[in-house]
Amino acid sequence: MAGNSIANETVNQSRNREPFSLRRFLTNKYFLYCVSICLFLSLWDYVAREKIFRDSLARPLEVWDQLVLLTQIKFAGTHLWGHIWASLQRVLIGFVLASIVAIPLGLFMALNRYVNAIVKPLFDLFKPMPPIAWVSIAILWFGIGETSKVFIIIIGTFVPCLLNAYNGVRLVDPDLYDVIRVLGGSRRDEIIHVCFPASFPAIFAGLQISLSSAWTCVLAAELMNSRDGMGFLIKRGMDTHQPTLVLGGMILIAAAAYGTSLIVSLAERRLCPWQRTIDNL
Amino acid sequence: MSDMKLKLRCENVSKTFIQKGNQEVPVIRDITLSVYENEFLVILGPGQSGKSTLLKIFAGLEQPDTGTITLDGKPVEGPGPDRGLVFQSYMLFAWKTVRDNVELGLKLRGVPAEERRKTAQHYIDLVGLTGFERHYPHQLSGGMKQRVGIARAYANTPSIMLLDEPFGQLDAQTRMFMQKETARIWEQERRTVIFVTNNIDEALFLGDRIVLMEGKLPGTIKTEYVLDLPRPREHTGMDFLRLRKEITDNTELVL
Repeated sequence: MAGNSIANETVNQSRNREPFSLRRFLTNKYFLYCVSICLFLSLWDYVAREKIFRDSLARPLEVWDQLVLLTQIKFAGTHLWGHIWASLQRVLIGFVLASIVAIPLGLFMALNRYVNAIVKPLFDLFKPMPPIAWVSIAILWFGIGETSKVFIIIIGTFVPCLLNAYNGVRLVDPDLYDVIRVLGGSRRDEIIHVCFPASFPAIFAGLQISLSSAWTCVLAAELMNSRDGMGFLIKRGMDTHQPTLVLGGMILIAAAAYGTSLIVSLAERRLCPWQRTIDNL
Repeated sequence: MSDMKLKLRCENVSKTFIQKGNQEVPVIRDITLSVYENEFLVILGPGQSGKSTLLKIFAGLEQPDTGTITLDGKPVEGPGPDRGLVFQSYMLFAWKTVRDNVELGLKLRGVPAEERRKTAQHYIDLVGLTGFERHYPHQLSGGMKQRVGIARAYANTPSIMLLDEPFGQLDAQTRMFMQKETARIWEQERRTVIFVTNNIDEALFLGDRIVLMEGKLPGTIKTEYVLDLPRPREHTGMDFLRLRKEITDNTELVL
C-alpha cells in the first residue's frame, strides 16, 4: 500500500520473495528450532538410557506413554484431565479474584495520594515476602482444602497485579493530561481518556507475571498437601519412585502455564490494538 | 494594524520558575503583545528565550506571576477549548486512531457522534490525511503525526491556534513541506494563529508579523517585523532574503 496523497511521505509494505535453496532451508528459523528440540530430546534419551542418574530419569517416550496411559485409566480417582482441571481451576479462581481487587486498587493508589498513603506502607511491608512463605500459615488458618490453596495463589498474584497497574498510571506522560485540559476536558476525562488506556499495557504485563506466579503457588500448595492436581501427580511420583509420573507432571504444568499465558496475550492483542507487536517476546 | 479587531491581548506578563527548591529562574519579563483577528503571528527566538513558556501561559497551562491575558475581551484563567494547542512532540493518544484523536475535543464537549464524525473528516481531509482515518499514530511518519495534531486542534474550532515549535522534530525537507502545508491550510481556513519557532525561514515563510525574542533569559521582546510579502512566498524571493538578512543581523540566530 502506498499513501501517495501526501507527496513526500509514503507508507510501504513489502515482502521479500527469495528463491528456495538448501542454504535458505538450513538457515530457516523454524528448521533450527526443530534441530534444537531434537538435539535436546536425543541428549535426554541418551542420558536416560545410559542410566547416568541410575533409574531416576525416564526416557522421553516412556514419559509420553505414561501420560497417554493416564488419559485412559483413573489415577487417584480421576483421569488426567481431572488433574489438569483441578490445578487450572485453583489458578483461575485465585488469579481472577486477585486481579479484580488488585488492579482497581493499584489504579486508585496512583490516582489518589490519600489512598496511596494508606495502602503503600502495608504493601511495601508484605511485598518482599515470597508467596510460598504463606503456605504453612494458610494451612493452619484454612485447613488443607481448596481455600488454603486459593489463598496462596491470591497472595502470589496480588502484588504484581497491583504494582503494574500503579506504575502504569504513574508513568503516563503528564503532557498528555495537558492535551485533555486544552481540549476542554475535566479530571474525569483525563482518567477515562488517558490514565486507563495508557496503563493497559502495563496491566497486561502485570497479569502475565501474576499468572506465572500463580502456577508456582499452585504447585507449591499441591506439593504440600492435595488429593488431585498436577502437583499431586509429581508428589505421588516422587513418593512411589516413578520418574515418568514426575516428569509427566512437570511437562503438563509447563504446558498448562504456557496455554494460560497465551490466552492473556491474545486478550491483550484484542484489547490493545494500538500496541506494536514484537517478535518472540 | 489598528483597524483590525483585537483578538488576544497580553499585558506586562512576567514569569519566574523556582528550581531545586529555592533557585529563581526568571523566564519571561514584561511581555506586552497584541494579536489581531485572523493574523498569523510568529514568535521567533532561540532556545531558552521563554517563547514556549509564553505560549503555555496563553494556553492557560501556566499562570503568569504578573500581568494579564485577555482573549476576545475575557481574561484567560486556565486551559480551555477556545484555544487550540499543537505540541512540539505531537502528544497524540497512541491508543486512539487518527479519527478518534481528531474527534476527541468534540467528544469531550458532548457533540453528537454523527456531527463529530463529519467535522473530524473535514479536518482530516483538510490536513491531507484522507485514507488514514483508521491508522494508529505509530503507523504514521513524523510529518503525518503532526498533521493529526493540527487537525485535532483545528477540529475543536478554537478562537485562536497556538503552535509550539510544531515542526521541531522533523527533518529539513519534511519541515519545508509542512510549512507550505501550514500556509495552505491557513489560507483555506483562516484562523488567528500564534506560531512559536526558532527557525527564521519558517517565520518569514509563514508570518504576517514576527515578534523577535531576546536570546537569553529572562525573555523579552526585542523587536517586531510586519511582513507584507505576497503569498505563496518563495524562500529565495528578493524581499524574503532582504528581511532574512535584517533579522539575522539583529539576532544571534544563525539558522
